[in-house]
Amino acid sequence: MPAALSIHGLEAEMTTVTIPTDRTRSRRGRSYTATTARWGYLMIAPLVIGFAIFFLIALGWSFVLSFTEWTLPKSPEWIGIQNYRDILHDGAFRTALRNTFAIAVPLIILRLVLALLLAVALNSKIRFRNFYRLVFFLPVLTMPVATGRIWKWLFDPGFGPINAFLRQLGLPQPDWLLYPGTATIAVIIVLLWSSVGYDLIIYLSGLQAIPRDYYDAAAVDGASGWQSFRDVTIPLLTPTIFFLSVIGIIGSLQVFDLVYVMTRVDTTNRLPTAVYYIYDKGFADRQMGYATALAWVLLVIILIFTLIQFILQRRWVHYA
Amino acid sequence: MMNTSYGRGQNRKTLGWYAGRIALHGALISLGIIFMLPFAWSISTSLKPFGDLFSPNPKFLPSHIVWDNYRTVFEKSNFERFYLNSIIVSVGRTVGQVAIASVAAFAFSNLRFRGRDVIFFILLAGLMVPDQVLIVPRFIIMREFGWFDTYQGLIVPLIFSSFGAFMLRQYFLGIPKDFQEAATIEGANPFQVFWQIYLPLARPALAAFGFLAFLSSWNEFLWGLTVTNSSDMRVIPVGLALLQGQYFTNNAVLLAAANLATIPLLIAFVFFQKHLVEGITLGGLK
Repeated sequence: MPAALSIHGLEAEMTTVTIPTDRTRSRRGRSYTATTARWGYLMIAPLVIGFAIFFLIALGWSFVLSFTEWTLPKSPEWIGIQNYRDILHDGAFRTALRNTFAIAVPLIILRLVLALLLAVALNSKIRFRNFYRLVFFLPVLTMPVATGRIWKWLFDPGFGPINAFLRQLGLPQPDWLLYPGTATIAVIIVLLWSSVGYDLIIYLSGLQAIPRDYYDAAAVDGASGWQSFRDVTIPLLTPTIFFLSVIGIIGSLQVFDLVYVMTRVDTTNRLPTAVYYIYDKGFADRQMGYATALAWVLLVIILIFTLIQFILQRRWVHYA
Repeated sequence: MMNTSYGRGQNRKTLGWYAGRIALHGALISLGIIFMLPFAWSISTSLKPFGDLFSPNPKFLPSHIVWDNYRTVFEKSNFERFYLNSIIVSVGRTVGQVAIASVAAFAFSNLRFRGRDVIFFILLAGLMVPDQVLIVPRFIIMREFGWFDTYQGLIVPLIFSSFGAFMLRQYFLGIPKDFQEAATIEGANPFQVFWQIYLPLARPALAAFGFLAFLSSWNEFLWGLTVTNSSDMRVIPVGLALLQGQYFTNNAVLLAAANLATIPLLIAFVFFQKHLVEGITLGGLK
């Protein structure tokens, strides 16, 4: 296709691409051709430039901002580590963190267990399994803000169906979203509803990767269904469980939209989470520097938890 | 091996086996109903007349069906504008993400150049940093660009997807190199190889990533809330979160709005189901 070549004016280089034996060797012994490399840089350029502006520069800037006091519309002012020192004594942030963990920890355990049970049930040759999978997955797709709206009504203290149901059973009917304790339970239920389907899908693909032979071998050894679940399924599924617990913790430490809708009554939030608090400081109080420092503290907390999980995985995750 | 498992299966189809199956279906159906109830309740509430909402013993079905709540959403709020904005913004982000990520993914998977793997690794490391760390500087950048409260501001910062580049790279790596070599011998340049051979072959992965990109754009809240402030620039999730005040004490109207925000996407998913599930597992596990 000489026409295409002359358009790009690269005739000379193109011959080096087309004939593999003609490749120039770099000093390291790897072979690149100049043209291929140029195309490579050209093709990654849009992504890399965008990443540089909206990620690298933003990240560096954010780090610098966290050492300033900047209350819009005034200009930023360098205050060293004062923001971080203030965070140590910020009771409201501590409450927000406590709320976040009170949601995240039970949630991740319930997610992993419920999704595993469902995945094992749906992994057998059961009829309607695609239909069941769809049913559990639809909440995952639902816009979190809409989820919050719907459940806020379900949890309505006077006229919602949940309390109506409790009333019929003669149980107490709390004003769910008004108090941190019951609001935490409500938010956990909603997040479980909206995330278990995702874990289910990932578990199912993990289960499908377990070779049938292992189960046959266990059956030959006389293992019961429970024993082969415990000794074959669980160990071989540990990488999947690990993956889900890492991303599950990262995700639930960043809960925002749902609580924004569900637990905000008038303009005060009854159950502020860490990200809600950061947003509130930055964009309601306009304390940009302090909000950024808070975000960095949250990032470090998330990294520490991820790191701990990676260290602990050596004790329980089996890699084939 | 087939024989033994076949034999076992036959033996198990006793009364006990059937009882077990019925129990399993029973459990799955009950749980499934619980999972679908919020949707069902939301739809039925959105069709209820105002008076039905204040019954201390709410019935599932409306006393009579009214469509006024849906009309009210459009009459008393800027909802058609939110809808239009969401479509523009989600299509813009999706097209941008798919185009930019697929081109880069081809280079990362099939072209050799110095620094390739280091750059790729840095892009992936970026996935670990949560948005809230970047939100203030991005907000400032938007103000500097004069993009605050504009479509560019809503779209452009979110079209650079390292996740997409990663997912599509994994897919491209699975395509046999023979295709590329045959094409280069015919004198096609790398972009032509990408455009004419790899892109058509990667259609399933592109569809899966495209749907995921559209879904996350459609549902995205934090950036939409941060970078806009006029009612005319709100996208659906932000509009829906802020729908409050005098007109919207009526929960039937709020739920009508929530249904309008969600249901089109759920219907689309039922059609795209297979691709999307593949895409999620591909992106999730590799």
